[in-house]
Amino acid sequence: MEKNPCSCSPPSDDIRIGVYVCHCGLNIAATVDVRDVCEKAKKLPHVIVARDPMYTCSEVGQSLIEEDIKKYNLNRVVVASCSPRMHESTFQNVLKKAGINPYLFEMANIREHCSWVHEQEPELATAKAYELVKAAVYRATKLEALSKNRSEVVKKALVVGGGVAGINAALNLANAGIQTYLIEKQASIGGYMAQLDKTFPTLDCSICILGPKMVEVGKHPNIKLITYADIEAVEGQVGNFIVSVKKKPKYVDEDKCVACNQCASKCPVKVPDEFNRGMLQRKAIHIPFPQAVPASYLIDEDNCLRLRYAKKGKEVCGLCMQACEQGAIDFAQKEQIVKLNVGAIIMAVGAKVYEPIKETQYGYKRYANVVTNIDFERLLNADGPTHGELNRPFDNKPIESIAFIQCVGSRNEKINDAGRYCSRICCMITAKQAFMVKEHKKNVDIFVYYIDIRTAGKGFEEFYQRARNEGITFLRGKPGAIKENPENHNLILVSEDIDSGRIIENEVDMVVLATGMRPQDDLVPLARKMHLSRSSDGFLMEAHPKLRPAETPIDGIYLAGTVQFPKDIPDSVAQAGNAAAVAMGLLSKDVIEITPLNPVIDKSLCVGCGLCEINCPYGAIRLIQTEEGRKAEVTAVACKGCGVCGASCPEKAITMKHFSDYQMDVMLDALLSQEEVPLND
Amino acid sequence: MTEGKNWNPNIVGFMCNWCSYAGADLAGTSRIQYPPYLRIIRVMCSGRVDPIWVVEAFLKGADGVMVMGCHPGDCHYISGNYQAEKKILATISIVKMAGISEKRLFLDWVSAAEGMRFATLVTKFTKTIKELGPLNLSQEIKERLECALATVKDDKVRWLIGREWKMEQEGNTYGESVTKGQFQGYLSQIIKDTYNKNIIRYRIKKQPKTVTMLSSETGIEGVELLSQLVDLVRIGKVEIVEIKNKQPYYRWIGD
Repeated sequence: MEKNPCSCSPPSDDIRIGVYVCHCGLNIAATVDVRDVCEKAKKLPHVIVARDPMYTCSEVGQSLIEEDIKKYNLNRVVVASCSPRMHESTFQNVLKKAGINPYLFEMANIREHCSWVHEQEPELATAKAYELVKAAVYRATKLEALSKNRSEVVKKALVVGGGVAGINAALNLANAGIQTYLIEKQASIGGYMAQLDKTFPTLDCSICILGPKMVEVGKHPNIKLITYADIEAVEGQVGNFIVSVKKKPKYVDEDKCVACNQCASKCPVKVPDEFNRGMLQRKAIHIPFPQAVPASYLIDEDNCLRLRYAKKGKEVCGLCMQACEQGAIDFAQKEQIVKLNVGAIIMAVGAKVYEPIKETQYGYKRYANVVTNIDFERLLNADGPTHGELNRPFDNKPIESIAFIQCVGSRNEKINDAGRYCSRICCMITAKQAFMVKEHKKNVDIFVYYIDIRTAGKGFEEFYQRARNEGITFLRGKPGAIKENPENHNLILVSEDIDSGRIIENEVDMVVLATGMRPQDDLVPLARKMHLSRSSDGFLMEAHPKLRPAETPIDGIYLAGTVQFPKDIPDSVAQAGNAAAVAMGLLSKDVIEITPLNPVIDKSLCVGCGLCEINCPYGAIRLIQTEEGRKAEVTAVACKGCGVCGASCPEKAITMKHFSDYQMDVMLDALLSQEEVPLND
Repeated sequence: MTEGKNWNPNIVGFMCNWCSYAGADLAGTSRIQYPPYLRIIRVMCSGRVDPIWVVEAFLKGADGVMVMGCHPGDCHYISGNYQAEKKILATISIVKMAGISEKRLFLDWVSAAEGMRFATLVTKFTKTIKELGPLNLSQEIKERLECALATVKDDKVRWLIGREWKMEQEGNTYGESVTKGQFQGYLSQIIKDTYNKNIIRYRIKKQPKTVTMLSSETGIEGVELLSQLVDLVRIGKVEIVEIKNKQPYYRWIGD
């Protein structure tokens, strides 16, 4: 074994280990012979007591450990059960309660890494479980007591994304008295919900229920709203994040603008209006939508004549500036970087609606009268391109027949992202939209092409039945293709009748594609900046799918809304409340303890080469001048414990706490030697 | 351990807490089955995996070693997996010098969402190791591995491996850019020299030998050995004890 000359030498006191090999009901015991492993564990060095509880994490199991610690004077505990990612902290708390340092605990993962993955090979699984227990016992002999680093909590929160989830998370926090920043990528908060006409199943006017919440956010004394902004960088850790936010210029002073529309009426540039999905036009200076919060105009940099010519050194137009009586327009505005110091972050950046470009058979973007469900929301809306009249925006022809196609871009087994599964909301959206069509005009023929109708949710089934009773034709199976009638631009849906096997052609005025959700395009770089994991579908991953659905694996960063998975509005709002509650739990503390996995530098071995300083991703190691020359020094709170320095140090002067070389060494001994290797204490 | 059909390989895996270990957990919760020979050691980051551990694992009897981290760009610690890549690739070249198949040391990336990928990689690696058969630690292989261990402990080698990633990003201390090829050239030369030096040390520590004897024992070319020995004599690590039949006998006197 490598001699360890470091001051934090491995423990050599009287080591007394208690081993608990968990049955986990039958989760482990069905495959691994738990009793056998336990009997063998009794013979391992320094093991004073070994037991096989049915559920070690239960109240009974925990108090058993606690009692044993006192009875046998144990100073190390090994639990062989599930993943340490699941229950390490549970058992560390037991040790703490029993009065021993929580870092004198080691776990052997014999469930996720053994019994569950070797179900067909019980003997080999038992042998493996024993080896894992042995390695854990060996490591336990080398564990050292560590004291946690304490860090003050910045009692402020940041909510990223101002859709319905972000709005609710921010309001929950702000109402609890927490200073909250809400940053939004677009010029106004509101998200997709602001674009919807009605919500299912209650048919509330969407903006009527969201609007007041948006206004509340804008006026709340505890909320600082930063719109038209992106996250540049995130540094720091739980309780103390420093977030750099890039605020793009709106070229309009939000405080001065009174949203009088004088500027826009003079602006000569017309471009498609994103809010109305390109079916209406807006000016280069515009307000995102009438109910926008903040109620301020902004200039679209890419289309404004003055800004475009300014790049070429010419000064043109400026009609808006002349029209504005408030003097709110400021072409000199520049991009700003704002640094926010917060203790907790809630990610509520949402999802995007799927644009079915790949489903070429449906002709979206090719045929004027094929739209998606979000387009159709605008068509139903009184503020939309047809002012709520049920006409085709293309030729203003009244709609007399309409077809909805379900699962467009969803439940496709051939793809491996979010398109593989059911997006959860599209069936109800179609039921709602079909219902709304009937409410506009009773005699419209409605056809719904579907695979399965899924209406699980409070009041959903009842609503679906109600819509069905309005006289909507439901056709099982998706159309194979859509053709356009060149004369009247009607659409002909070609499908196979499942009962007769005949090909049916069905001509309608308009087709609505019910598309689901996908992760936002910029979620990948954003997740990387924050070191968040993504699930295989591309959405952000939660800390635990059942028990910690609103938390991420990173302490202090939480999830709300569709950034995690496709959700409807009630679920997004519920999760926002959960995220806010967990964040409040953190922010209610003055000081938190941070796991102390720092490197320790043996100054007598350090030659001051600086490799650790160069390689540390956090700038947590720096060389300082001492009497003996340049030596590395660690800033404990900045260190996150990755251990790159320890693995690189040419002189082996660095010992990583809790993941030291001598701990690794005995683990390798335990795992690889066939005979019992004596531990040299 | 029994030979032949009943042989059970010893495979050690170093998995990072945030991605590959979590991926292994997901394989568990999803009940995706894979062969029961892998023993996982959890580290916080794949960048923590010291080449020394890997060589020691072989010395202690591992038939295969897997190192897995987060996908490039996804590292929980920003750049730890890039560091791991440099370290493990260099280690592969070193154990290869010691006569161990490079297939026995495996590096790849598994995310926390890739339980299936994890199980597939483990299954494939186990198959590879089963095909290669047990790593019989003969005296010869043991000696070579000891030299490989001394090589990964060598401060110059460690410095270069540790410097590689940043050097590729930012150039050397003087801001001059160093291409991947250039750097690899220096690195492999230094690794080879260090390994050979350790072999020489091992061979002539107890018994003085001539260049011819050394060359036939180690398979290193005489010219190369001579130039190394001359250097080592110059820095006082080796001395010439006697000259028989016009052939000098060298002995190691350094540490």
